[in-house]
Amino acid sequence: MPKVTIDGHEMEVAPGTTILQACLSRGHEIPHYCYHDGLSIAGNCRMCLVDVEKQPKLVIGCYTPVADGMVVHTENEKVKKARAAMMEFFLINHPLDCPICDQAGECRLQEYAVEHGTGVSRYTEPKLALAKAVDIGAHVTLDQERCIQCSRCIRFCDEITKTGELGFFQRGERSQIGIFPGKRLDNPYSGNVVDLCPVGALTLKEFRFQTRVWYLRNTSTICAGCARGCNVVVGVGQQQTMMTTSGQIDDRIKRIVPRVNTEVNDWWICDEGRLTYLREQGSRRLVTSVVSGSAATYDAAVAKAAELLAAAGKAGTLGAIVSPRLVSEDVFAWKTALDALGGGPIHVHELTRGEDDDLLIRADKGANSTGAAWIAGKGKAPVAAKTLLVLGDTLDAADNPGVPAGTEIVYVGPFVMGASREAAVAIPSASWSEAGGTFVNFQGRAQRVRRCHLPVGEARPSWRIALDVLAAAGAVAPAWSSEDDVLAALAAKVPEFSGITTESLGLLGVPARGTVGA
Amino acid sequence: MPAERILTRNVGRPDSTALASYEANGGYQALRKAVGSMTPDGLTEEVKKSGLRGRGGAGFPTGLKWSFMPKEVDPKRPHYFLINADESEPGTFKDRLLMEKDPHLVLEGTLLGAYAIRASVAYIYIRGEFVHATQVLERAIEEAVAKRYAGKNILGGAWSCELVVHRGAGAYICGEETALMSSLEGDRGYPRLKPPFPAASGVWKCPTTINNVETVANVPFIVERGADWFQSVGKAPKNTGPKLYCLSGHVRRPGVYEAPLGLPMKELIHELGGGMLHADRPLKAVIPGGSSVPVLRADECDVDLDFDSLMAKGTMLGSAGIMVMDASTCMVAAMARIAHFYYHESCGQCTPCREGCGWLERILNRIEGGKGLQQDLDLLLSISDNIMGNTICALGDAAAMPTISFVKKFRDEFQHHVDHKSCLTGTLALQGVR
Amino acid sequence: MSFDAAFQGRVDAIVARYPQPKAAMLPVLWEVQKAKGHIDTESEAWVANRLGVSPAQVHGCVTFYTMYKQRPSGRHHIQVCTTLSCMLRGSDELVAHLEKRLNVRVGETTHDGRFSLVRVECLGSCDTAPMFQLNDDYHENLTLEKVDRLLESLT
Repeated sequence: MPKVTIDGHEMEVAPGTTILQACLSRGHEIPHYCYHDGLSIAGNCRMCLVDVEKQPKLVIGCYTPVADGMVVHTENEKVKKARAAMMEFFLINHPLDCPICDQAGECRLQEYAVEHGTGVSRYTEPKLALAKAVDIGAHVTLDQERCIQCSRCIRFCDEITKTGELGFFQRGERSQIGIFPGKRLDNPYSGNVVDLCPVGALTLKEFRFQTRVWYLRNTSTICAGCARGCNVVVGVGQQQTMMTTSGQIDDRIKRIVPRVNTEVNDWWICDEGRLTYLREQGSRRLVTSVVSGSAATYDAAVAKAAELLAAAGKAGTLGAIVSPRLVSEDVFAWKTALDALGGGPIHVHELTRGEDDDLLIRADKGANSTGAAWIAGKGKAPVAAKTLLVLGDTLDAADNPGVPAGTEIVYVGPFVMGASREAAVAIPSASWSEAGGTFVNFQGRAQRVRRCHLPVGEARPSWRIALDVLAAAGAVAPAWSSEDDVLAALAAKVPEFSGITTESLGLLGVPARGTVGA
Repeated sequence: MPAERILTRNVGRPDSTALASYEANGGYQALRKAVGSMTPDGLTEEVKKSGLRGRGGAGFPTGLKWSFMPKEVDPKRPHYFLINADESEPGTFKDRLLMEKDPHLVLEGTLLGAYAIRASVAYIYIRGEFVHATQVLERAIEEAVAKRYAGKNILGGAWSCELVVHRGAGAYICGEETALMSSLEGDRGYPRLKPPFPAASGVWKCPTTINNVETVANVPFIVERGADWFQSVGKAPKNTGPKLYCLSGHVRRPGVYEAPLGLPMKELIHELGGGMLHADRPLKAVIPGGSSVPVLRADECDVDLDFDSLMAKGTMLGSAGIMVMDASTCMVAAMARIAHFYYHESCGQCTPCREGCGWLERILNRIEGGKGLQQDLDLLLSISDNIMGNTICALGDAAAMPTISFVKKFRDEFQHHVDHKSCLTGTLALQGVR
Repeated sequence: MSFDAAFQGRVDAIVARYPQPKAAMLPVLWEVQKAKGHIDTESEAWVANRLGVSPAQVHGCVTFYTMYKQRPSGRHHIQVCTTLSCMLRGSDELVAHLEKRLNVRVGETTHDGRFSLVRVECLGSCDTAPMFQLNDDYHENLTLEKVDRLLESLT
């Protein structure tokens, strides 16, 4: 294993490791734009130039493999001068768009200019003028002037989605990123180029001008779009709106971006997953309980639900349909409740659309279809049930489970949907972003969903409603006071979940028992 | 006594492009000898011993370059020989002469090189503007194939080598060997990061050698007359062989002149070239190696035109494009024009060249047009310094080196433009032409 | 968008000269330009399909290499070299003269479509400066009189 000395620290690295990778593995950042772990090496930005002893010129750290005995300096005068020089070159034609650019606050040009630039511009010539705010796709806007030509977006479309929409056009200083005239950036992963772009040349239409990134409260959680369970960071707006004098905070999801998990989604997320929150925000929420079509208090609704479910359970006419987006804790809590009330067939609704693709997208749109099935079994649709408990968290009308006409429905879910409209009792529960829990993806990997913001209206975590219904039915409800308690009980009862705790899930999840890698 | 014409022996003869004429003058005997009685490695050794250095601009020892190729051909990774006929360095026009007037010399040299590196196809990458040379070469290839000098089973032997002419389409950067490969593969002419070097992984990831037209034109003579003979021409051991010098600018007889390596510059300009264009305008400056090398003042022109002598003088032989400037030349205007070239030709891949070349040109235009600022001269030097050594390929250096040399050696002229918004030479620079 | 069988045959022959079809990019673009006078986006899409690459890659090449024309030029496309050696021998005066004589500015085409005028970089003819390339042919050792006579001879 080659040994390299970087800024006086000796380290041993695997053969083939580049200087940049060696530094990053130690938490030592060498500034760079064009390099990305998930893409081929371009070596064009020249920001990562470092000084290797015995080399006549500075070398780029992203491309130079470590050789045994190599001595590298990343902070000496030569390197500092080169970095300042590169920063100056980057900025001479760059438009001063910071006040209106989404990237502000997470922009590498800004950060490196402060850290490595000279702070003074010597450029007195006119700046190059190119096209701004170009609509190149359903979700992406291009600003050619801001572009620093790092080619990450081109490499993404060539190497990851293999759709090749983007390219360099013209030559020299007039080079620009562009899209073939008449074509659109319309692959299912187009939004990733926005994450990749180190500056504000590519921006997401849905996030454009929504808020400043420093107003976002970020939560690491799991996407609820399909059974892949891409790891994401949800950004909830914290900017005080100017429309109310009381300084009300927005507290709505402003964007979702992927985070790295090499076991699940690498660095990427599909556009549909990126924008699930819009569908959620666009759907009608159930905010207060409803009994027999009229608004009711939570306690009245819980009492009525308990009455209906207990009666049906006793008569053996009870069944349940569970959304595959429900977190495992909710499914387990309701299974426990139903068992105590007399039991009945439980069916995990199937949400399938399209096909699995070669990248991330799964046809199974149930983010927790695997976890729900492990808990509730693979029972068929309960057609014989006269009373149905519908645990809903499906977004589209088309995705709602079909319920036979005339069935008595007890609905517990976040959205106003078909079932809830005809329900005898409808109780609002927290949506995917409003409560924590555990998803199990199609690989059998258990991952932690985290609450991003408070539930709207009277909604609350579904497992709490289960406990309240059980108590209202006069049964002994388990003494769970948090999701962790429910998970612990779940792990003790269902073998596949054995050994899983909130701590063990961490940020990247763990393979559940019996799956590959467990 | 005039030197023997070796490379240009056929130039000027009637029908010099025809195969019959080439054969009548002993053409393709070298190929016959090599294929018949030499091994590829033996041929490479001979070229190594000759001391032949690349004539494209870098002066890299040719035999050494050939020796980097694998000695056996992996059938999954054929060897490729590429002839760099992209001649675009300002001041250079020697390869064009050879291709237009003695195409078979170029082809024979190509075939010999292909034989040495065990290639079975050679692509001649010729700049798109050389339409006439392309047609001449293609006709010559047809003739050569018909006579079994190229194509299948050359001279009845086992070795086959196809010759393909590949036209560029207007990009100086494609003369850079890795950009040439990118272009040949059908991409934008972007230079590539090295390593890997072409001999390890070149076009289509296969072992590749790239040589200049004039370089390979020397090889038939090395084969025929031997490495020792080649060493006796020019200045042994490292500056050997005949050389084509391209003389242009303010001289009475611009043109291509052949002489052994090491021709004194004064002899080229004042004797072969007929001296200064105007008797009353003395020599002011000379760029000896194509515009990418540092300029020499008139008092620095007592120098031999070979690789090492010019290097010792702080410049380079490069492509041997000797551009002569007399006293009427505004050095600011000249440098602005040179800077425009690099701005126009930069591929745009890496930051310092892409942004820096345009910046240099704009500052120079301002100075030339009377809008220079006091800080501009040092700024030019600083920008050039920031470009040098930090780019993917040498085009950035090629823009920086002349800038640094012009500003340093003619600083008073630049300063005059800044201070007085007018030109020392009295020649009115044409403003607004850009 | 149609290219006739003869054209496609020529393209096939070109593609056969290379181990990978993409390498035929530059020569095939030349064939398109020869056939149509310039290369439009429809032709680019055809080339992309034929060579198995994305249209963006083809457009990237057409816009990188300066000899490819995206719009038709004049019947007589005058490309004047103005790099250093030609500049030293009067290229700028030549350009000014042509602009005046043709009543057109650099980068433009005359109204009747006969002449277009561009400045180009070193054409490798420095010993015969000043000079220009007219369509495919070099015209060297130019004087203003020679230029006038040449222009008069062109239809």
